[in-house]
Amino acid sequence: MNIFKREMKANRKSLMIWSIGVIFMVASGMGKYSSLEGSGQSMNALMADMPKSMQAIMGTGSLDLSSPIGYFGVLFLYLAVMAAIDAAMLGANIISKEERDKTVEFLLVKPISRTSMINSKLLAALVNILIFNLVTFASSVAMVGKYAEGDDVTGEVTTLMIGMFILQLIFLVIGTAIAAFYKNAKKATSLATGILLFLFILSIAIDLNEKLDGLKYFTPFKYYDAKYILNEGGFDSLYLGLSALLILTLSIVTYVFYRKRDMNI
Amino acid sequence: MNVIEIKNLTKMYGKARGIENVSFNVEEGEIFGFIGPNGAGKSTTIRTLLSLIYPTSGSAAIFGKDIITAAPEIKKDIGYLPSEVFYYDNMKVIDLLKYSASFYKKDCTKRIRELAEIMELDLTKKIDDLSLGNKKKVGIVQGLLHEPKLIILDEPTSGLDPLMQQKFFDLLEKENKKGATILFSSHILSEVQRLCDRVAIIKDGRIVTVEKISTLKENTYKKFKVETKSEIGMEHFNVEGVNQLEKDGSTISFLFRGNINSIMKKIAEIEIANIWVEEPDLEEIFMHYYERED
Repeated sequence: MNIFKREMKANRKSLMIWSIGVIFMVASGMGKYSSLEGSGQSMNALMADMPKSMQAIMGTGSLDLSSPIGYFGVLFLYLAVMAAIDAAMLGANIISKEERDKTVEFLLVKPISRTSMINSKLLAALVNILIFNLVTFASSVAMVGKYAEGDDVTGEVTTLMIGMFILQLIFLVIGTAIAAFYKNAKKATSLATGILLFLFILSIAIDLNEKLDGLKYFTPFKYYDAKYILNEGGFDSLYLGLSALLILTLSIVTYVFYRKRDMNI
Repeated sequence: MNVIEIKNLTKMYGKARGIENVSFNVEEGEIFGFIGPNGAGKSTTIRTLLSLIYPTSGSAAIFGKDIITAAPEIKKDIGYLPSEVFYYDNMKVIDLLKYSASFYKKDCTKRIRELAEIMELDLTKKIDDLSLGNKKKVGIVQGLLHEPKLIILDEPTSGLDPLMQQKFFDLLEKENKKGATILFSSHILSEVQRLCDRVAIIKDGRIVTVEKISTLKENTYKKFKVETKSEIGMEHFNVEGVNQLEKDGSTISFLFRGNINSIMKKIAEIEIANIWVEEPDLEEIFMHYYERED
């Protein structure tokens, strides 16, 4: 419990900054909707006329930009990227920082096992990404609701946020697994964010080029696509299964490698 | 009873040597010195004992329990002071000590105050504002606050001024009298000589010898310098056990190892004006062990 408390305290500031960032992102993003609102269907038409590559980069595709929730679907991609960056950095950092700051010689000579240390740290990280997610959820419901004029959007936002949470979980364990596997603590965080960036670019590349469609299983950013979630009102079970498999495998990697390896002091 | 038992412990870093076939025991209640130059493998041995790193082969037990499988249990009764102390920077001293204490299932508040007073440590300061010596003090308090049965110290005196060193040594001796076993690693011989009962000398990852400090001294030479009244030939001292025989006017000097009585008889046979007999200090013994191995 003490490590958990310590981690919550250590991450408080960063969590606050990320939360303010995401509130700002939702508010300013939805704020732009008000300027589009008047143009109505013409926005959809304009988008449809754009080349596919432009649509892919904007993340639009088949979303109805004239409705607040459709517009929010475009914004969701960026919120998800933010959440994923936060999760990956948090995961890599929370494990590797003890070695990077050489505090591992303090912590691991205490009467705790490495497993229980990871348990506490993962729990703290989990609570952190959950708070991030709830902040995003609350600000999204408030902002989208404001433009939806009476339509209840909580259901759709909830579904999107559940998707985002699974995405956060995946990137969290990508971070922890890298930190557990990789001996160079200083580079673990940059490697985790590097992988994230690669996966994100891959997901855009898949949108741009239909030939790459088969690669969509390799990037978690394709798993929780706002288009699919909003149009179908739920998740693709194949992606859910893949997510579970990834989270499980990477968690095991985190524990197994961290327990086995020499601390780098 | 042996508090630490190390059997053929080997640690390789890839192909690079860490330690090879290190074996020694530390008995309950003793202050055991672990001595060798930088890079000889002292920290590697200690970090292996603390399961921060894992041995390539061999095994070790602390309190009779395996260092790897029983690690969390063993560590309840170990206090460790690393050679360089690193802590969470944005914490106050007292917060760090409380955090440290929270891992042990006992109330250490009183003990923290006591130790901080002895070591003259300001508990309200932030850790990143502390000097190297003060950080070391935090390390000392942190390592002793749960009254461990085994205290492991890795180069503990670096950064402490002589006055603080003295206080720290007194503290260690007090802990030792209360029953704590101490493993004291150092490359400074005088401090080991002062504190320790027995010592293991490590060189290039291998244990050269494990001896009582007193035996170490007995088994080595004494330095003799004899000033004679009348000039005599130095062949007089050319007997077994004598070497580096030198003569400078009426002064003859040599090193002697063996039965002290035989050399005293030799000296008694002649008329002498003055005599100096010197105990070699550990430094010289140490060099002797090192040279012999080469």
